[in-house]
Amino acid sequence: MTFRLRSGKKGLEIRLHDLEATIMDVVWGKHLSSFAVGDVLAILEKQRDIAYTTVMTTVTRLYEKGILGRERDGKRYLYSPKLTREEFMESTAREVLDEAVGGHQAMVMLAEKVSEASAGELDDLEALIQKRREELDA
Amino acid sequence: MIEATFPLLGTAFVVLIVLPTFALLAKAGLVMLERDEVGGPLHGLNLRYVLLTGSSVLPIAWLVSAGLHQAETGKSALACLFDHDTAELCFEPGFFALMLAVAILTSSVGVMRKHRGARVSSTDAAHTLLRRVARIIASDPVLASLRDRVVVTDDDGFALGTHGLLKPRVFVGTAFAARLSDEMLASALGHEAEHVRALDPLRYLILQLALAVNPFGRFLLDPHAARWQAAREAHCDREAVILGAAPLPLADAIVRAARPGAREVVALGARDTAVLKFRIGMLLAFSERAPARCCHQGPSAFPVAFVLLLIALLLPHQTGTAALDVLHTGAEHALTYLWR
Repeated sequence: MTFRLRSGKKGLEIRLHDLEATIMDVVWGKHLSSFAVGDVLAILEKQRDIAYTTVMTTVTRLYEKGILGRERDGKRYLYSPKLTREEFMESTAREVLDEAVGGHQAMVMLAEKVSEASAGELDDLEALIQKRREELDA
Repeated sequence: MIEATFPLLGTAFVVLIVLPTFALLAKAGLVMLERDEVGGPLHGLNLRYVLLTGSSVLPIAWLVSAGLHQAETGKSALACLFDHDTAELCFEPGFFALMLAVAILTSSVGVMRKHRGARVSSTDAAHTLLRRVARIIASDPVLASLRDRVVVTDDDGFALGTHGLLKPRVFVGTAFAARLSDEMLASALGHEAEHVRALDPLRYLILQLALAVNPFGRFLLDPHAARWQAAREAHCDREAVILGAAPLPLADAIVRAARPGAREVVALGARDTAVLKFRIGMLLAFSERAPARCCHQGPSAFPVAFVLLLIALLLPHQTGTAALDVLHTGAEHALTYLWR
């Protein structure tokens, strides 16, 4: 599974969009080992106004991303999580690290033309560190 | 035939043809290693180092050893007897080895000059900082290896760096340290502790010497050497965090070391924008999840380099010096051809 990491986000939302993260929160929180779109909708409707099609689209996207598996059950699909929350977070953390230290992209970064950092760029880096510090403290 | 033909033309051939060829071969190996995405740019650091330095050091070691071996035994037989028609000892290979050594030493002078450490200070400010550093080291068992290994300097523009080849010491600039919190200074010392442990000043010196003696091949290897050095700095960051340094204070210290006024090449390696961004990104990631020793470094650099050097030095004695004879006769035939 490969995801684009979302900067400035924490937890599940580093890799998942808001509604995707909410749905996975429900699935893992309620220990739903096998569920239909309607099951998740019933839980979410207690928290917010949300359309069936929105939930269906999002659940399908989670399936396409490989986080959910599915099998046909008559006219509908039954979905099941392919990873536990812990496994997902573990792989997320690994991906954050890989993004930073691994792969060709990082090597390309080291291959950039040597240029000394400007004061503005250093300010940006300091702001980034401060932001991460605040996120971790929150 | 002029006796200086082989020493002069042979040395020129080594510098212009042999060393650049080895640099090309090393580059091919480095490109393959760097393409290997497993582990990323911190992968195979030791192997990359051996390729970078070995491509200059090993052929030179073999040639000098072969030259001395022939001169010592007087058995530069084919080359000397064939061209000079004399059974006397032929000292040309010895002169060649001498010429090569002189060329190497000449090109090394500039590098050696740059490698001088900062001046140790004993002002009040320096004593105050030294007490602060001693307190930080005493309170952090991870930094125990730096006990009696940290000195302080008032040199303008000096931030933080490790100097000394066999017994390296960490130099801390008073002006730089004043801008760091204790936590930042402790993390930065953790980074330098890895440089001390791994004898990095010696590694860096050998690398720079290896590139300096290969003036026509170094343009092939310079980008790889810069990437290796950047990766080595990142490796020290990671080792520091693995051993307990706080990643965010270390990131802060690195950015501050890059600020004008406290900029120094070895100051936490914080010189280049791209490298800075890479290392800060890595440390931000480490603040979410502690790093592990992810990347295979290859066999330990110093023992491997030592064994290879020993082989290069002993090989002429064991297997003969035919390649030097070819170089010898080739140089003299080339001169004969030019004089016609």
